[in-house]
Amino acid sequence: MAWAEIAAYLIFNTFSYYFLFLVPAAALFRVAPQRLRPWIIVLFGGGFFLYFAYGMAGWWGAACLLIFLWESVISRLYRPSSRWCMLGIIQSVVLLGIFKYWNFFTGLIFHHGVNPLRWQGAFLPLGISFFTFEFYHYAWDRRAGKTEAGTLGEYLAFILFFPTMVAGPIKRYQDFLPKLRAEPMGWDGDWERGITRILVGLVKKFAVADLLTAWTDHLNAHDILVADRRILPFWALAYGIKIYTDFSGYSDIAIGSARLFGIRVPENFDWPYGRRNIQRFWQCWHISLTRWLMDYVYIPLGGSRVSKPRIYANIIAVMLVSGLWHGAGLNFVVWGLWHGLLLAGHRFWRQLRPVASNQPQVVLLSRVLTFVLVNAGWPFFCMDLHTAILFYRRLLAG
Amino acid sequence: MVSNLRNTLEYLAGERDEAPEFLSGRFELVVRCAVWALAILLIYAFCGQSSKFIYIDF
Repeated sequence: MAWAEIAAYLIFNTFSYYFLFLVPAAALFRVAPQRLRPWIIVLFGGGFFLYFAYGMAGWWGAACLLIFLWESVISRLYRPSSRWCMLGIIQSVVLLGIFKYWNFFTGLIFHHGVNPLRWQGAFLPLGISFFTFEFYHYAWDRRAGKTEAGTLGEYLAFILFFPTMVAGPIKRYQDFLPKLRAEPMGWDGDWERGITRILVGLVKKFAVADLLTAWTDHLNAHDILVADRRILPFWALAYGIKIYTDFSGYSDIAIGSARLFGIRVPENFDWPYGRRNIQRFWQCWHISLTRWLMDYVYIPLGGSRVSKPRIYANIIAVMLVSGLWHGAGLNFVVWGLWHGLLLAGHRFWRQLRPVASNQPQVVLLSRVLTFVLVNAGWPFFCMDLHTAILFYRRLLAG
Repeated sequence: MVSNLRNTLEYLAGERDEAPEFLSGRFELVVRCAVWALAILLIYAFCGQSSKFIYIDF
């Protein structure tokens, strides 16, 4: 298969992922002595990164493996309350800022003309949005004395654990380390459950998410302009189902893959679309990201221990960060703002009515309302701002 | 009932380790094999049109 093809059919839906990396790495990991196990993950994780990052962005993409090596060296200097931890936090944010947001922010500065600071050959290192969060978490928690250092091999195994490297679930070092050190138990049980999870993830991707592409491909300016407006909500709904099955399928494969090693990583989804309010939705959608944002953005901003106006501002700020993290575009900012306002609105409602009604009609209505409001936000997630506005103008004004 | 249905689906999808009571015993192995067979059939039927995962671009 050509590199370009590999890039297009990326990673979890390629044979190379399973037969070059996952199966040999997991099998070797289980039979190797304890001291060698982290290095098996490091070896295969490094190979995985080089193989797929080269397929995506050539030699420069592959060279980004140096980011992991640099981070692992710096991480050895982290101590509780140390300035090295602050350096680690800053460097992870700066790296993400340069690779992901450079053209976006300089484009905002020079939006009236040609952007002289535009990075023409810009590319996104494989998994940068996710591994940045793990670097940040480790530096922050080491600074706060909430996690032990581990050995160099253990830390490298944490950041190069390839089932979760590219798109999560976002792990925590203090959860991962005991599992890495523990003797893997029961091949048969772990492999049966792990392979089942992988197969179900692939079914979600191939038989649902990819099938819905026939509808979601219409979410572009031309098709929105010429379509019957009554079909537009169905396209948005199709995207809502597609992104859920696509990402929960991805997470199933990642979690199932980790299970082959005997390592359990955090769950990412818990039936989010059936939830009765937006707060519960976010507790069940991309759970590892929500928890990360709570621990490293919301709580440091003061969380719920500040004045009421500040609490609302914090909620909106967290969701703006979440939106911007998903992509460098104004549409993602609007999507984040939408969810921030929904969460703030829900919190305000809870203050007016502290006890939720348990009447079946009210429960059903609140579930439907939450589902509709979440789906109303997806057009801003999957289209640029102008196209999303066009979508709503066509939908509401004809 | 909803919770039983949910537990069953989660078990069939590999999320849970413990089989629901009505599935445990001799029947359990048959169900596991049926899930694999159905999944492989569906993957085979639909795999030709695959696109990359959305979150890989993030």
